[in-house]
Amino acid sequence: MGRVAGKKLLSIMALVAMVGLLLLPIAVSLPSLAIGADAPDAVKQEGEQKYEKGRDVYYKTEGLAIGAPAPKTVDGPKDYPRYNFESRVLLWFANQQHLYYGSFVLAVPIFCMVIEFMGVVTKDKAMAKRYDQLAYDFIKISLTAYSLTAILGGILIFTFLTLYPAFFGYLSSIFRPVMHIYALMFVAESGTLYIYYYGWDKMRDGFLKWIHLSMSVILNVIGTLLMFLANSWIGFMMSPAGVDEQGRFLGNIWHVIHTALWNPLNVHRILGNMAFGGGVVAAYAAYKFLASKTDEDRAHYDWMGYIAMALGVAFLIPLPFAGYWLMREVYAYRQQMGITLMGGLLAWLFIIQATMIGILFLSTNYYLWQALGRMRGAEKYQRYIKYLVFILCCGYLVFITPHTIVMTPAELKAMGGQQHPVLGNYGVMSAKNGGINVIITTTILSFVWYMRGNKVSTVSWSKFGNIFMGVFFACAYVNIIWLAIYGYYIPANVRVGLSVPQVATTLSCLFFMFPLNSAMMKGAKQMGAIEWGKISVRSQYALIMLATAFTWMMGLMGYIRSSVRLFWHVNEIMRDNSPWAYTHTVGFAANMISFNVLFFWVSILFVFWLGSLGMKKAPVPAKAGVPGGAPQPAAGH
Amino acid sequence: MGSTIVYGAISLVICVAYFLAVDHFLMDSQGLDFWYLFRK
Repeated sequence: MGRVAGKKLLSIMALVAMVGLLLLPIAVSLPSLAIGADAPDAVKQEGEQKYEKGRDVYYKTEGLAIGAPAPKTVDGPKDYPRYNFESRVLLWFANQQHLYYGSFVLAVPIFCMVIEFMGVVTKDKAMAKRYDQLAYDFIKISLTAYSLTAILGGILIFTFLTLYPAFFGYLSSIFRPVMHIYALMFVAESGTLYIYYYGWDKMRDGFLKWIHLSMSVILNVIGTLLMFLANSWIGFMMSPAGVDEQGRFLGNIWHVIHTALWNPLNVHRILGNMAFGGGVVAAYAAYKFLASKTDEDRAHYDWMGYIAMALGVAFLIPLPFAGYWLMREVYAYRQQMGITLMGGLLAWLFIIQATMIGILFLSTNYYLWQALGRMRGAEKYQRYIKYLVFILCCGYLVFITPHTIVMTPAELKAMGGQQHPVLGNYGVMSAKNGGINVIITTTILSFVWYMRGNKVSTVSWSKFGNIFMGVFFACAYVNIIWLAIYGYYIPANVRVGLSVPQVATTLSCLFFMFPLNSAMMKGAKQMGAIEWGKISVRSQYALIMLATAFTWMMGLMGYIRSSVRLFWHVNEIMRDNSPWAYTHTVGFAANMISFNVLFFWVSILFVFWLGSLGMKKAPVPAKAGVPGGAPQPAAGH
Repeated sequence: MGSTIVYGAISLVICVAYFLAVDHFLMDSQGLDFWYLFRK
């Protein structure tokens, strides 16, 4: 009894310590936050004598220019020391790898939290154990990756310091308190993660389990704040605020953090990271599935892959809308920047991005259709899949059609202009919004089919429910396509607003049809249990495809976002005078992204291998796993 | 068969009304006129 009370006390103390660690950076930074608008009068008066006044380039407020102006760099060893190699490429590589691992270790603990919570609240003890084991498997994967993230972060800082000292010096002079908070938060994150991981077994039951779960919440709050702080740096580089036109810091650190693009970047990145993390774990599960020797292992990894994929796709679905918001804010901040992105220099990269998004959704749908095969009773949907394929292909082809094509003069003459007389019509946003919304709605429909695959509703209103659901989806498709067509007949300033009801239509399917389906399936008759592990091998390759496409797209979008600054380190404040202040060709960028993707996957395979070294194999039962039975965990801890 | 038609009709009325309301009010909230083409 005394031992249990001691454990409780210890765990509560650990939790309090984590909350303290979480708050520590804020407490430490308070004095530095006081400089500026809220500083005492004496300090202000002294400052006014010493410093000039400056006007915020974004907020248009006045403040004391307490910082140094942005350095005017010149091409040479002082501002741009280098090897006999393009420094930007080295930085690109270090940055991208750090970002991949950072995204992964941010996303996986969020999954752990969700899955552990599901395990705690579920009443079925066998299921609770499976969820707990799955959450543990997830965090174990991320632990090794966490060390690698820190190492890559170090490499990135050294790369900045040694190759771009003037730029990094300026950035760190502006973000001095933020960078220190970041470092302290990192310490808090590490401490919390290790207690969370190593305390798993000791805190597996009752009250202690809730404490453990609370730790995962704190871990994720710290992780998310870390990401928000890092986002403030890139937000500042794209859309600076809190400085005057010479780049002098005006004393309000919140203005520097809270730039025009900070919030859209935060939302877009957190959703992207979650989708990416889900994809990587799903690929891990797929790899383990393919390498499995027993039915139990196959069942476990099939289930793991499905959960990871479902979580990833849950965040993939709203991702295009967050991206749309980001682009809208970019246009609102600087119209020219938006045009460079989507209608100018970088427009072709968006066509590649559309192709990748389409591949993501096609892979997801393909996996779900394959997954129907592990359910008895789901055959009834098989004959309708071809119609979904048709709808998806139409949406996809419209989505990837470019507005204009690069052509020879002879081809141009033959076609009668840069725009194809028929296909050119699909190259505008009106059509593309329709295309992507059709694709996402179809993915939602595939999920609904999957959720009811082996079930027959027994509620008294099931007939009406089924008809209503069918009509709702049909009307949603009609509304999306109608709005896309309607956009051609109204002026651009009205047309631009149509994307909002289009998105709302898609989200209506998600938020109304999922609960309706769940209500209909309450107490439903099961045609047969889900036979985990009884799924085609092709489905697992679809999961690997999904993860690879995520990785490639992340690299691509990071490049696009960074390239839009063109020849600026900090947009319109600090010019990039290095010899590499130009935009690479699409081919070079694609090769570079592919190299980054390849390196990440090779290195993460190494991480997976390291993780497997610590695994204790669970005893394999003499009898083969019963299809549909609860699979045993593949590894113990 | 009869109930199917009735259910289908009720569903259609609800869904069409819902999506038209979504189109109208979300355009209106942006200060735009959804019925622009029909008013011209």
